[in-house]
Amino acid sequence: MARRDDVLGVTGADTVIGTGVTAIGNITSEGDITIDGTLTGDVKANGNVTLGVNAVVTGKISGRNVTVAGALEGNVTAVGEAVIGETGRVVGDISANSLDITSGAVFLGRSHMELPPRLRSELEEDHA
Amino acid sequence: MYYYIVNPAAGHGHNKDLLDKIRLKLDELGIRGEWAKSTGPGEVTKMAAQAVTSGHTTIVAVGGDDTLNEVINGLGNSAVAVGVIPTGTVNRLAGQLGITDWQQACEVLAARRLTSYGLIAAGQNFFLSTLTMGFETDLDKNVDTSESGLGARTRQLLQSLGHARHFTTLQAKLTLDDSITVTCDLFSLSIGNQKFLNPLADNKLVVSLSDRPGTRQLGSYIWQLLRQGTSPLEETATSRFLADRIVIETNPATGIMVDGKVAGRTPIAIRLTDRRVRFITEKATSTLRG
Repeated sequence: MARRDDVLGVTGADTVIGTGVTAIGNITSEGDITIDGTLTGDVKANGNVTLGVNAVVTGKISGRNVTVAGALEGNVTAVGEAVIGETGRVVGDISANSLDITSGAVFLGRSHMELPPRLRSELEEDHA
Repeated sequence: MYYYIVNPAAGHGHNKDLLDKIRLKLDELGIRGEWAKSTGPGEVTKMAAQAVTSGHTTIVAVGGDDTLNEVINGLGNSAVAVGVIPTGTVNRLAGQLGITDWQQACEVLAARRLTSYGLIAAGQNFFLSTLTMGFETDLDKNVDTSESGLGARTRQLLQSLGHARHFTTLQAKLTLDDSITVTCDLFSLSIGNQKFLNPLADNKLVVSLSDRPGTRQLGSYIWQLLRQGTSPLEETATSRFLADRIVIETNPATGIMVDGKVAGRTPIAIRLTDRRVRFITEKATSTLRG
C-alpha cells in the first residue's frame, strides 16, 4: 500500500487512482484524472491527466495537458502541453501543442507537434 | 400546504419545549401547516406516503437523519418538496443541505429554495447521503461513541486507535458501470452523491477509497469522525471515481452502513436511481425555483 509520501489528495481531481489500486477499463472524465496506481485501459479527460511516480499505465492517454512521472506504454495526445518528468518513462508516440522532456526521462517513440495558429499563419506568410 | 412529520423520540425525546418554539416560529412565518407525530420506527415512511396521496405539496421531517431517511423512502416518484427541521441526535443530512439549527431551518422553509438530489439505492433501501464500509463501519460496532465531552472523546480516540492496529484491510473488487474493474486492499470506502459536495454538479456517485493511513493521519481521521460524526474520507481518500452503478465485493464479506445505520452486507450493488427528491435548502445550495 501507499507510503505516506505517496498519498494523493483527491481534492480538485475528478478521478484519482491511488497507489496500490489496480484498475482495468477505459476511464473518461469531464475534469482531471490523476493516476498513481496501475491501469490497463485508455484514459480520456477534458481536463488534465497526471501520472504520478508510482503510476503504471498501459493504454492511450488523451487530455488537455498530460504529465507523466511514472511508466506509460501507449500513445499520448495533449491539446496543450505534454510533459515527461525526470522519473517518467513513455513508450509510445506523443502528439501535443508543446512538449517538455525533462533530463533523466525516457521516451521511446515519435513526437508530433501541432503548431499554434499564430506560428502557422507566420509560416504560411513566409512561404507565400 | 406544509405537512410536518414529527418524530417525538428524536433527540432522545427531550424536545417537547423545542417543538412548541418551532410551532411559534412557523406561525410567525405563516407556514404552520398540518402536524402529525410518528409512534414508532417505520411509521414515518407510511405517513409520508399517505401525505403524498392526500395531495400535500411539502413534507417536512422534524427530527434527525433517521426521520428524514424514512420520509424519502415514502415519497415514491412524487414531485413533493421535502424540508427538514433538525431536532435529532444526528443531523448530518440537514447539515449537508446547509441547515445548521431549527431557527435557520424555519426560515429556510419559508424562503422555499429548492435543490433536486438523486436518490441512491443499496439493495431495496433508498438513501440520500453516504454509504460507508470498512474501518468506519467496524469502529461503529466496536467503540461506543454516544458519550460526548473532551474526556469521553479522548478515551474513544485511544480505544479507536487500539482497534485500528488490529483492523485487517479488506480485499475489495469494485465494478463501476459494468465497464471498469478496480481491485485494492481497502481500509475504508464511502459512496455519496457528488451533488452534496457541489450543488451545481450533476447527480453522480462519488466512490472514495482509502488505504491504511499513517499514524498521525489516522489519529486526525478518527478524531474528526468522533467529533463531527461525519466521514472525513472525502478529504483523506487516496482514490476517487465517479459512476452511476457500483458492485462491491469483498473478502471477507463485510457490513455496510447507510447514513450511520447498518444496511446490508457485501456483495452489494449500489446505484444512482432516476428518482429525484426536491429539497428545500439553504440559499447557497439551492439550484431550483420552487
